[in-house]
Amino acid sequence: MVPACLGLAPFGVVCGVGAAAAGASWWSALGLSAIVFSGAAQILTVELLAAGAPVAVIVLTCFVAGLRFLMYSAAMAPLLRPLPARAQQGLAFLLTDQVFAAAVRRFDRGGDPHAAARHFFGSGVALWLFWQATNLAGFFAGNLIPASWSLDFAVPLCFVALVVPQFRSRNAIVAAVVAGVAVLALAWLPMRLNLIVAGTLGIVAGTVADLATARRGAR
Amino acid sequence: MDPTAALWVVIVIVGALNYASRLSFIAFFARRRIPAPLARAFRYVPAAMLTALIVPMIAAAPHAAADAVPSAHALAAIAPRVAGAAAAIAVAWRTHGTLPTLVAGMGVMWIVQAIIGAVA
Repeated sequence: MVPACLGLAPFGVVCGVGAAAAGASWWSALGLSAIVFSGAAQILTVELLAAGAPVAVIVLTCFVAGLRFLMYSAAMAPLLRPLPARAQQGLAFLLTDQVFAAAVRRFDRGGDPHAAARHFFGSGVALWLFWQATNLAGFFAGNLIPASWSLDFAVPLCFVALVVPQFRSRNAIVAAVVAGVAVLALAWLPMRLNLIVAGTLGIVAGTVADLATARRGAR
Repeated sequence: MDPTAALWVVIVIVGALNYASRLSFIAFFARRRIPAPLARAFRYVPAAMLTALIVPMIAAAPHAAADAVPSAHALAAIAPRVAGAAAAIAVAWRTHGTLPTLVAGMGVMWIVQAIIGAVA
């Protein structure tokens, strides 16, 4: 978890810089990072807010970008079933991309689910605190970082580290290529709607490829 | 709507939706089976959504570079990011780690940026 934390530092700083650039007060910036606790949603929110997009569009875009949490939740559900409801509710709040990736690897190794859950909780809380610290650092001190460093490039790189392990499956590559081409081809759409449309097209393409693979396998 | 009020409305709604998504299957659907077609589609959500997020961030030239380089040289403006992304993908494929991916991507991006700066 520690290297994952360090890797997220520039991401958190970029989120803080974005909130400051969008004209947020420090406590609304902190509210955004503490409550929403999702770098992708935070970046989209401050970008769309700065571009004057209506609240409904911001909410819809963040919701569609956050659909991956449904998938994480479904994957974690069987692993967390032995735990009490209160623990499940607490752990769900901490279920970010990075914690999910680390938790699944940990639960995969088997052993005591309660020990794995304690590890999940510990790393989740540590990541949450670290995230608030880096967001605030970006908000207050982000302007000290020279633009020539292109620190914002750290954001797609963090997502690259998450998405590339998915590419072990050929159908996931199909989903990614369709989404990637579509998001560029539809860049003319207003208010980042290309993200929602391209993401949906990618999911459909991956699912269709999966069905075709399954059919070929069944024959 | 006043921007601060708008931001707080977004924080509350997106925060609630995010939490509901994270909790959904862990709490509400834990005892039910996910319908097979839905489970199939779920598998491709991260690959599609994350790629749709990543690609524009790589293809968009940073503002500073876009100002410095005329539009005819748009390629020179995005080349450092494309090279950095390619290096990051290669490292992420081998290591699965955020930190090595970040170091490779930023490193190659800076090197290509410096080379283009020296040539131009």
